[in-house]
Amino acid sequence: MSEMAPDIQSGLQLRARAFRLRRGGRGASIVVALILSGLCAAALITLSGHNPLEAFAAIIQGAVGTRHGIGASLDRATPYLISGLGVALCFRAGIINIGAEGQIAVGGAGTAAAALAVAGAPAPLAIVAALCGGALAGALWAGLAAVIHVSRGVHEVLVTLLLNFVALLLVQQLLAGPLGQIGAGFLQSPLMPRPTWLPRLPGFDVHPGIAIAVALAAALSFVMGRSRFGFALRVLGQSRPAAAYAGFSLPRLTCSAMLLAGALAGLAGGIEVLGIHHRLIGGFSLGFGFKAVTVALLGAMQPLAVIPAALFVGLLETGSLAMQRQIGVPSALVTVIEGLTMLFVLAATATRR
Amino acid sequence: MIELLAASIRIATPLALAALGGILSERAGVFAVGLEGMMLAGAFTAMLGASSTGEPVVGILLALLGGGFIGLVVAIVAVRFRANQMVSGLAVNVVALGLTSFLARAILVDGRPISLHLSPLAPLPVPVLSALPVVGPLLFTQPPLTYLTIVGCVIVTFVLNRTQIGLTLRATGENPEAVFASGADPLTVRMLAVVACGAIAGLGGAVLTLQQVGTFTDGLTSGRGYLALAALIVGRWTPWGAAAACLAFGAAEAFELRLQSFGVPVSSYVVQMVPYLIALAVLAGIGPSSKLPAAIGTAGPTNR
Repeated sequence: MSEMAPDIQSGLQLRARAFRLRRGGRGASIVVALILSGLCAAALITLSGHNPLEAFAAIIQGAVGTRHGIGASLDRATPYLISGLGVALCFRAGIINIGAEGQIAVGGAGTAAAALAVAGAPAPLAIVAALCGGALAGALWAGLAAVIHVSRGVHEVLVTLLLNFVALLLVQQLLAGPLGQIGAGFLQSPLMPRPTWLPRLPGFDVHPGIAIAVALAAALSFVMGRSRFGFALRVLGQSRPAAAYAGFSLPRLTCSAMLLAGALAGLAGGIEVLGIHHRLIGGFSLGFGFKAVTVALLGAMQPLAVIPAALFVGLLETGSLAMQRQIGVPSALVTVIEGLTMLFVLAATATRR
Repeated sequence: MIELLAASIRIATPLALAALGGILSERAGVFAVGLEGMMLAGAFTAMLGASSTGEPVVGILLALLGGGFIGLVVAIVAVRFRANQMVSGLAVNVVALGLTSFLARAILVDGRPISLHLSPLAPLPVPVLSALPVVGPLLFTQPPLTYLTIVGCVIVTFVLNRTQIGLTLRATGENPEAVFASGADPLTVRMLAVVACGAIAGLGGAVLTLQQVGTFTDGLTSGRGYLALAALIVGRWTPWGAAAACLAFGAAEAFELRLQSFGVPVSSYVVQMVPYLIALAVLAGIGPSSKLPAAIGTAGPTNR
């Protein structure tokens, strides 16, 4: 796009520029970003009076040393991967949707409501109905943000950010009211009907969510790379004027991308409810939406690359709990690593033009 | 009634300081999504300084440094490296959350995590004025950082509207090319504005730990930085407007607590939604960013 006339160039939004990355060199910058945040983590571990190599060994051992560790890591990676795919899709289209946090929570509530409504249905049907409820709820919430963004011209980050807080409070309100378990003492729904529980695969003690997530990543990779819709989104992300000139409807594309991302986030919330907790718990997805942004950035907005990114974060989080248990380095270190990696990736990829 | 207003002022103080910082950043053209992290860092370093020395003043100075440090990180990533401002802000919030939780456990004194407790700063009545009816107990019997907030609003309003520095800062947010043409460096202006934003927001965090809670816990700010962001939008990017919005948010919270204590069934969740809904309504109401600084979110001139 660098051949474009300077006046059009100067009219482009930064967001398009910030996320327009050369294909080559992107992987290298992300590896460098990971190494840099690893070095910072090592410095912090040293500061806390521990041996960084020992700590990293404990993380790896805790994450992949046992079957249970691997299973727990996969379960953790699942919601990050599914919602991260939606975030990556939006970012590719130059839409900075950071509403995954709220959409996941609303999706969890939608799944819980649907699961309770279809109580008595046979297992596969009940699960599909419940997850559809979650995806629908997530899409509706994202749709609300998209409508406000497109019709009133409010920056999408501000809309999605503000709606996140409304969503979290809305779910708490639902749990304090119609969805709540009476007399539970804290914010949670009754247990979901047994047929809606996701089965646990023997051996690794993991629910099948990760398989769904990987299949979705493959499907999305195909859509982004091979379909007209994916092409339109990529053009939109590269240059809004070019997309408009090509005759694409920008509002419609924006809404479609947001709806799809919302559905994915809602599904992520639903799988978490049916696969892990078997009930809706207040704050069950706290921070998930920001991890979705982390893995989308770490996966360079490529659906297939988001898979290893999400696995990395899942392994890191499971491993860090083991590290805290064994050698006493606070597991909050993982949050630092995630944030720093985001910052380094942002800095490295924004200057590479 | 007076008690209710006093509670509103108390709740509004940290928000107002953070919003005040955010105004500097946004008027210079950098979205202040990192306010949450700046507040959290300030809250932590304030408590660290005050509880380890016993001197609240040390805490206040460290809060400026802690918040300013997070501001510097945003400035480097979002301004110098021209990364997306919003996502950088989010990332820095994650870093601040992790770093403060980590350090609160990792800084050891005699083999145990450092104790982060201090009795909250007491109200400091202003002589004579505090004896006035109504205004006395409301405005002149407050803890020291609340006075600082009011003074801060006066100073920032004056600097923004009446000084050369303020003009350059505002111009950087509206038209960085013009600032560049006039011989100033818009990127430096933005970096300084974001660092100042961090320091002031850090002070807002210090209000929470030093003046209100008296201790530090993980994620203590719990979204107050985003609430301050909402307030500065509702206040249309002016110090007094933002302070008024913070007061309104504070009043809503204080009122809700009061109603609950009388047994009136109000949902605290719905009341807590109100600030965000008002901010959305204001944003939707002003339409396509008419009042937003024109060049906010852009990278500024590239032909340096």
